[in-house]
Amino acid sequence: MYNNKTTAFKLGLLILLALLLGACAAPSYGPMVEDRSVQARPSERISATSSNTPVKVTDTPAASAPAITPKPQSDVPPTATITITAQPISKPIIAPPINQAAAAPLVQDKVQEKVKAPTLPASKQAVVEQLLADADQLKAQGKETQAVIQLQRAQRIAPRDPKVYARLAALQLSLGEAARAEQLALKGLTLVPNKKTYQYYFWKLIGASRSHLGDSEGEAKAIVESAKYK
Amino acid sequence: MSKQRVRNKVTSNSSLGWISWIWIFKLTTVLLVLGVVALIYIDAQIRHRFEGHRWSLPAKVYARPLELFTGQQLAQGQLKFELTQLGYRWVTQAKAPGQVQKTNQGMIIYSRGFRFVGGDEQGHLVEVNLVGDKIVGLRQTSGASIAVLRLEPQLVGGIYPAHNEDRELIQLDDLPNGFIETLLAVEDRQYYAHYGVSPWGIMRAMWANIRAGAVVQGGSTLTQQLVKNFYLTDQQTLWRKLIEAPMALLLNIHYSKDEVLEVYLNEVFAGQSGKRAIHGFGLASRFYFGQPVSELKLHQVALLVGLVKGPSYYNPRRHPKRATNRRNLVLSVLAQQGLISETQKTNYQALPLDLTEAKQVSRYPAYMDLVRQQLKQHYQASSLSSHGLRIFTSLDPWVQQQADKAMLEQVGKLKQRYSNIEGLQGAAVVSHRDSGELLALVGDYNGGYAGHNWALDESRQVGSLLKPIVHLAALETGRYSPNSIIDDAPIALPQPDGSLWQPQNYDRKSHGKVPMYETLVKSYNQANVRLGLDVGVDKVLQQLQRMGVEQSIPAYPSVLLGAVEMSPLQVNQVYQTIASNGFYSPLSIVRQVTEANGRLLSNFPFAVRQVASNESIYMLQHEMRLVASQGTAKGVYRYLPKQQKVAAKTGTTNDQKDSWFAGFSGLHVATVWLGREDAKPTPLTGAGGALNVWGQLMQNLAYAHDEDIKPQTVAHYYLNRATGEAIPDKCPNGVWLPMLKTSAPSFNASCGY
Repeated sequence: MYNNKTTAFKLGLLILLALLLGACAAPSYGPMVEDRSVQARPSERISATSSNTPVKVTDTPAASAPAITPKPQSDVPPTATITITAQPISKPIIAPPINQAAAAPLVQDKVQEKVKAPTLPASKQAVVEQLLADADQLKAQGKETQAVIQLQRAQRIAPRDPKVYARLAALQLSLGEAARAEQLALKGLTLVPNKKTYQYYFWKLIGASRSHLGDSEGEAKAIVESAKYK
Repeated sequence: MSKQRVRNKVTSNSSLGWISWIWIFKLTTVLLVLGVVALIYIDAQIRHRFEGHRWSLPAKVYARPLELFTGQQLAQGQLKFELTQLGYRWVTQAKAPGQVQKTNQGMIIYSRGFRFVGGDEQGHLVEVNLVGDKIVGLRQTSGASIAVLRLEPQLVGGIYPAHNEDRELIQLDDLPNGFIETLLAVEDRQYYAHYGVSPWGIMRAMWANIRAGAVVQGGSTLTQQLVKNFYLTDQQTLWRKLIEAPMALLLNIHYSKDEVLEVYLNEVFAGQSGKRAIHGFGLASRFYFGQPVSELKLHQVALLVGLVKGPSYYNPRRHPKRATNRRNLVLSVLAQQGLISETQKTNYQALPLDLTEAKQVSRYPAYMDLVRQQLKQHYQASSLSSHGLRIFTSLDPWVQQQADKAMLEQVGKLKQRYSNIEGLQGAAVVSHRDSGELLALVGDYNGGYAGHNWALDESRQVGSLLKPIVHLAALETGRYSPNSIIDDAPIALPQPDGSLWQPQNYDRKSHGKVPMYETLVKSYNQANVRLGLDVGVDKVLQQLQRMGVEQSIPAYPSVLLGAVEMSPLQVNQVYQTIASNGFYSPLSIVRQVTEANGRLLSNFPFAVRQVASNESIYMLQHEMRLVASQGTAKGVYRYLPKQQKVAAKTGTTNDQKDSWFAGFSGLHVATVWLGREDAKPTPLTGAGGALNVWGQLMQNLAYAHDEDIKPQTVAHYYLNRATGEAIPDKCPNGVWLPMLKTSAPSFNASCGY
């Protein structure tokens, strides 16, 4: 009788031990703070499939699938707020594969060499130069969005520097955002009323953008304008 | 003990039969099986919680980072403010990140570094030379050059899940020296030796409690405490007591000591801020000291560790004495255990608590309101409140602070001056002139937020703020110049309901034939209605809509005098477009969104659309500067130096229900609205009310003058005001005005008098 009791006790212990061993043998898990909730299971991912999400980021390394993707959007510019919704800055209606070689480099090098930014103090100039160089490097690495971010940083520091708009516009055009590029070039144009090289460059950019947008009339105008400053 | 008793009972009672033993055996087996099942269940639970979705991490919202470079003009006191907000400590020699040292020429900053989108910014030891509030020199103390130093952005808020738990995850490596030692010395000395539970610890605690006659020590190990916080509810149930120990054992079997400790560091409850629960030492350090945990000194560590016992009882802000005693007790324990010397103990105990000011859950309620609104368009609510996203905004804490302050102080003054203004409210919007980024938003005059954001949710008639749009539409026709002569004669127009609309000037007089610019400078109603009617009400409305006003507005003539309801945010959008030379860009709030690990999810790019010609805008801006230098807005120069260029417009609606002021100067565009909550009349005009808030605000913002860029097609002419003819500049009473070269005025060598 006493034996029964001990057997039961031993049996229990054995089961417990087996359980604990089993638990020990379970696959071990890594430390937890490093990789956390964002890398959720696929079923937990926030879904978004739309490819024309204006805010999507394409130039980050595609090593792992994104856990979070922005909600699909209409083509309202992402900067629009709720109360003030801008009319969409129009997307290209016709979107032929852009001839990047023709569109992007243009006369950029020439502009860089010939024109010194007009009014910036030397130190501010140095900051802008560094940011532009960073942006160029990022673009060369295929990280266009990162390049845009650096250029916007430069724009906040030197909002009247035409060079910044020249780079921004060229970059947007190379990304196929021709409408955006055209407008940025128009903005740049207002900053350089007496600087021929820039005027030429901006009108060339505007022409290329309009061509991309299928606006042949506008393109012709831009070509006429650019010729004035050649 | 109970087992012993059962066995005694069994042996002493020999009358118990054989059958009963079978029953006992069966019962025991059943209980064991149940126990095993329970263990399996608990085990699964533990691992699920530990491996799976551990914490819901609120999205973190950051302000814009301050960029420092030579030549940068800051506002008076701004750099100090920014550093204080970031929790930098003033020391005699900056030796570690987060420290700043005063020098004769400025300061030496040891920046913290930050993981920005697109790359880490390292911490730098940098000398900043200042003349006044302008940076005239920036270099690393090592001698290496640095073009620009980006301070880390201020964390300004979060988007919290329903349970309001907030935390900032840390790893063991983030802890300063002595942290773990202090924690273990106080909470669990045998942590690295025991198996999750510590019978020795329980006995010691019991002994201590018996000696003291009260519960002075808990016998729980850190593992048990974690189990309690992490897996079990707070209720003292029997079940909880029963499974706490096995759970701790299982946790100990599955995971390393360091892993468990790391989770404990992040789980521990450390205080309450309104509805928000402060969890983990990472956030606790920010919450109490305004610093990252890595920068804490031992007396601060001792306080945090001491708090674990009772965060609300020892709340250092509410009960500083209690908290100090607790901290000093912890320091004594460290000395007793030989971790610090007696001298160190005494020195640390003499230090103040070093707390940072208590910050509200959100110090920027109106701005955060807009951030949430914008993010909701792009992200699901659950991902915002649980995935630890990082939201980078353009909020400028300095500008926001100045806007809040100007609003509160000026509204206070107005309430004092006019005892009959009940329920006076106010809103202010400030944006960056060329980028269109929203820098600050005041949604309530006292900076609070009671569900109604007066900058967003309230639309009021804008009155004379609309006149610049009438002028812009007129200039865009090419038929008008600032010197065009307009008749200010009385006017009466039939309304749709048959009645007559007879707008009058503010001074109830007519001023005859006046140059166009003067109708804006003096804000003449009759002349502006005539001008607008000639241009066409529909044309004016189209111009307004191109500048970002979306709602449909019926084309009544009264629109010309601002019978259009707009929110302060919308007004700022329109003025932003004027300020950025006729390029519309939607006021933006969020720059980027990244995952917790820094991976970029969204970038919100800068985009513009030209909605008015460069020439028209140039002429309009000139008119608006005259409004500020000699017209209805000239009161701003009570606040600003004469050489500061301001272009602005006042607005006052019927019966003075609304007092408006909108305009721009230097890098900033700002709009201020004042009015009663119930929209009843006030004694305030635009110049008597909103102007003062605007003036005080601008006074405290950095001003850097950018020369206007004159289009090639425009020239400035010296004109006779009555005839609009160009005259020699030696003639008296002339006025310089910009005009299109193609519509150059005729020249009158005799001054025209």
